[in-house]
Amino acid sequence: MSNESNDRADTAIAIVSTAYLPAVRRNDVTETEMLIAVVDEALGKVGLKRSDIGFSCQGSCDYVSGGTFSFVPNLDAMGAWPPIHESHVEMDGAWAMYEAWVRMQHGDVEIAVALGSGKSSTGDPAEIYLNELDPYYLAPLGPDPVSLAALQARQLIESGKSTERELAEIAARSRRDAANNPKQQVRSAETDVDKLLAEPYLRNPLRKSDLPPISDGASCVVMATARKARELVSRPAWIAGIDHRSEVHNPALRDLTDSPSTRLAAEKAGGVEGVEVAELMAPFTAQEVVLRQALGLGDDVVVNPSGGALTGNPLMATGLVRIAEAAEQILSGGRNRTLAHATSGPLLQQNLVCILEGDN
Amino acid sequence: MSTQTSSTIQFPYKRTLGPVISRFFSELTAQRIVGIRSGERVIVPPMEYDPETGNALEPDFVEVGPAGTVVSWTWVAEPGKHHPLDRPFAYALIKLDGADTNLLHALDAGSEDAVSTGMRVAPRWRDEPVGRIDDIVAFVPGETPEGPAAGEAQDVQTMDYFSTITYTDVLSPTLERYAASMRAGVITGQRCPQCNRVFLGRGYCSVDAITLGEEHEETLPDYGVVSNYTIVTPTPYPGQKETEPFARASVVLHGDEMVIAQQQIIGIPVSEIRVGMRVKAQWFADDARNAAEITSKGWGTVAGFIEGWLPTGEPDEPAEQYMNRVF
Amino acid sequence: MGHEPVAVVGIGQTKHKKRRDDLSIAGLVREAAQRALDDAQMTWSDIDAVVIGKAPDIFEGVMKPELYLADALGGAGKPVFRVHTAGSVGGSTAIVASHLVSSRVHKRVLAVAWEKQSEGNAQFGLGGGKSGSIGAGGAFAPWIRAYIRKSGAPEHIGWQVAVKDRQNALRNPYAHLHLKDISIEKVRESPMMWDPLHFLESCPSSDGAGAIVLTDKAGGLAAAADGRPPAWVLGTSMRSEPSSFNGRDPIRPQAGVDCAWDVYKQAGITDPRNQIDVAELYVPFSWYEPMWLEGHDIAPVGEGWKMVDRGETAFGGSFPVNPSGGVLSSNPIGASGMLRFLEAALQVRGAAGEHQVDGARVALAQAYGAAAQYFAMWAVGSELPSS
Repeated sequence: MSNESNDRADTAIAIVSTAYLPAVRRNDVTETEMLIAVVDEALGKVGLKRSDIGFSCQGSCDYVSGGTFSFVPNLDAMGAWPPIHESHVEMDGAWAMYEAWVRMQHGDVEIAVALGSGKSSTGDPAEIYLNELDPYYLAPLGPDPVSLAALQARQLIESGKSTERELAEIAARSRRDAANNPKQQVRSAETDVDKLLAEPYLRNPLRKSDLPPISDGASCVVMATARKARELVSRPAWIAGIDHRSEVHNPALRDLTDSPSTRLAAEKAGGVEGVEVAELMAPFTAQEVVLRQALGLGDDVVVNPSGGALTGNPLMATGLVRIAEAAEQILSGGRNRTLAHATSGPLLQQNLVCILEGDN
Repeated sequence: MSTQTSSTIQFPYKRTLGPVISRFFSELTAQRIVGIRSGERVIVPPMEYDPETGNALEPDFVEVGPAGTVVSWTWVAEPGKHHPLDRPFAYALIKLDGADTNLLHALDAGSEDAVSTGMRVAPRWRDEPVGRIDDIVAFVPGETPEGPAAGEAQDVQTMDYFSTITYTDVLSPTLERYAASMRAGVITGQRCPQCNRVFLGRGYCSVDAITLGEEHEETLPDYGVVSNYTIVTPTPYPGQKETEPFARASVVLHGDEMVIAQQQIIGIPVSEIRVGMRVKAQWFADDARNAAEITSKGWGTVAGFIEGWLPTGEPDEPAEQYMNRVF
Repeated sequence: MGHEPVAVVGIGQTKHKKRRDDLSIAGLVREAAQRALDDAQMTWSDIDAVVIGKAPDIFEGVMKPELYLADALGGAGKPVFRVHTAGSVGGSTAIVASHLVSSRVHKRVLAVAWEKQSEGNAQFGLGGGKSGSIGAGGAFAPWIRAYIRKSGAPEHIGWQVAVKDRQNALRNPYAHLHLKDISIEKVRESPMMWDPLHFLESCPSSDGAGAIVLTDKAGGLAAAADGRPPAWVLGTSMRSEPSSFNGRDPIRPQAGVDCAWDVYKQAGITDPRNQIDVAELYVPFSWYEPMWLEGHDIAPVGEGWKMVDRGETAFGGSFPVNPSGGVLSSNPIGASGMLRFLEAALQVRGAAGEHQVDGARVALAQAYGAAAQYFAMWAVGSELPSS
């Protein structure tokens, strides 16, 4: 696919604006109010109004938000009167964007908005996340997300694909990057690798530095058709491809040191050739290693310059934050080809890859 | 300091198992572990379908284990309330002898130093099996299963799963002010400067998606008209306390700008509730008012502050103009 | 470049029941999905993508169950997508799946919607896990009271719909309720659950699943050539509005009106009463039949109940509504919208068996959710749309 502006088909779709709230341990406002703020910000950047939106899709989760039908009040963030054309997925906002992108393929929607939101501060991940596991064979055993991640990390290390030092280096790099990103939550934590390695295990072989924080947040991405995108911004982040794939659910049945679904999604989305920056949703350090290796990213690819999910993890919004960051690398960062990844389910069960391009 | 809110959602789910899980759990009650054959592989625990293809599997069960080898593990030094053991333990991926897949389970090894990849483990059986995955209480180091003598297999068709999750939150600034006002016996609404509609404890206009703050707040009357109602015959469910028919009414506050839904009408039998009836708020006593029903997952509610609405005895308003105003 | 035409070539559903105690959750969704695949003469490996819909996860206590169900639906290595738009979700699941084909992103898509209500308790779930839940019936009862009062409809209209849908269900082997001796008297004498709604004017609580296989023009034409005529999608729409604000008309929500006209326009329908042969409308409480006839401009405002009264919506009437028995006879909540959508497809394929409406060529399906604020609708036809 050519990067030449004039070759970009009229049917192409671009991200023209993004916004996300700073990830914080607890945001005092309601999820709906968080969404109003990100929609205002994202639309405001490109001078759009809610009434310009042809389709919107939200991603959120009752179990994270702590209430039945928790997405219903969130609809109000769109200004849904007169009635609007919209949808909701019980998935990360990255998948909401996928639905909006599919909807835009029909050519009758010029502007679409995708949202993700969650207040994971309200619950204990160890209590919530066991409910997404096989209800007969896994959930009754109560495995928490950190224990599962540790099983994966050990296999990665003992198979020779990584080391505890490498994991600590990922933590240190993410924290250094986060220090430069005011929207990340873990911004002044230890970055000395030896000191990190001297810290005790939380779940052997994982230390606290290998884990994400608990965060509240919301994210928003605005997409436009080629004609509208050129009108709205000088350098649209063209969606070269977006695809998502699932794997077998039970982590005990998978090779946890690989992520074939990520690799397949990336291939379907156009491949990693020429990617300069990759925003990978790796809430645990070892998962960044798995993803990099599965994607075959070279050392020249900058990974998670935002600080990544490891330093700010607003569940249900985190994946869409990765897309927002990868898009901003093009919209305002001058990069030509970036990759964003989102994941869902235990130990990278389900993975989405979005490849973005700028005009040369 | 923000007001903390807390709610616990709990429910005793009863799962039906279908033929394959049922067989696996039934075998567990007789201290046998079975897998299912899928082509060349033996999958443990058995599944109804090949996980890679979705193709249905024939009921070709194979006994495996009971001993196996640890493939991966981690150490839980401080078990939480959802963990299977109340003392430090390991989670492990275990490849049972004769199986081609791993099994996730707990490993009771005493200390972290006693756990390693490649170690041999065997099940410790529950004293009185119930037909669940935790009939294996945990695996233990060595080749020899622990537990009572095996009994006859039971026919296991269902599984209980008790779910409990506690959520804690703080009230949003809007709800904080709203709650303070309600404690003082005053209903405060927020008026949207764009559409002029009034909302209760939302922090935004539901029509225009505009953030509303303190500057948009005004006192609302605590009397109005019953615009609609229903009388509910309660059905029993875990946590249900209602046993007699109860009414829930919508009240349009005087001035016709605000509906408060799902209110109790008090002082009269439920059969006497009428659309158009004029009512006034019956506030709880000062020290009995509380914000426990307000959460940041919802909107302002009068529950916890207003006990119900008392008919004033004034003549009814015409029903037709109010009936549509429910929510 | 227009949209790719979309054909429904496979339809499957479970036997709906109060408790499918013979099945796991995976077994339940697979029963419907396997039947849809068989009907489409496909296997799991033929499917490019899977779309799953259901109502709140708390009903079964499995969070994001599409994760656990991914491999049960042959989803390993494929896109697996989860939709949730409240009660309309079964319909939106079908629509989102159809968009994957009409956008030419995929060629063969499996859409499955389900609920296994017996694992938990819907009253509990809808009440947010607290005592004193008013349930869906308590929430809708006041609006029904308002409709009755405004339209001047006699009270037997609600009883009549309740009887009609249960009689229709006797023709549908998959329906949950088979009330052979249903009668106006029985409905009238049944307990008042949510005044003015009687117990028999309300939907049951069911375990069940529905599934469809959608494919492109070539796939649809190939099926037709093979003697398995597909249902062609003529139009789809989703519309939402806020649940609560001053000035909202909950009896005839604007989102429902807009949603219907969006579908009519795409399908070339200008006179829905005469151009649509049969409708499957989401009627969990009997009065919603006349309310939606008006809410989707099939009948003039205030006249919907007269269509019911004249027997026009009965099986054999001039505008049959819910020949399957509808939500009043089977209510696996998350699947209920899908059942409307797949029943409409069955009708235009001429494959509805004993509840087939003679000569059905254009069928409408609708689902709604939450505070009657989320709408999903489609129209399907027996002929490939011309453009």
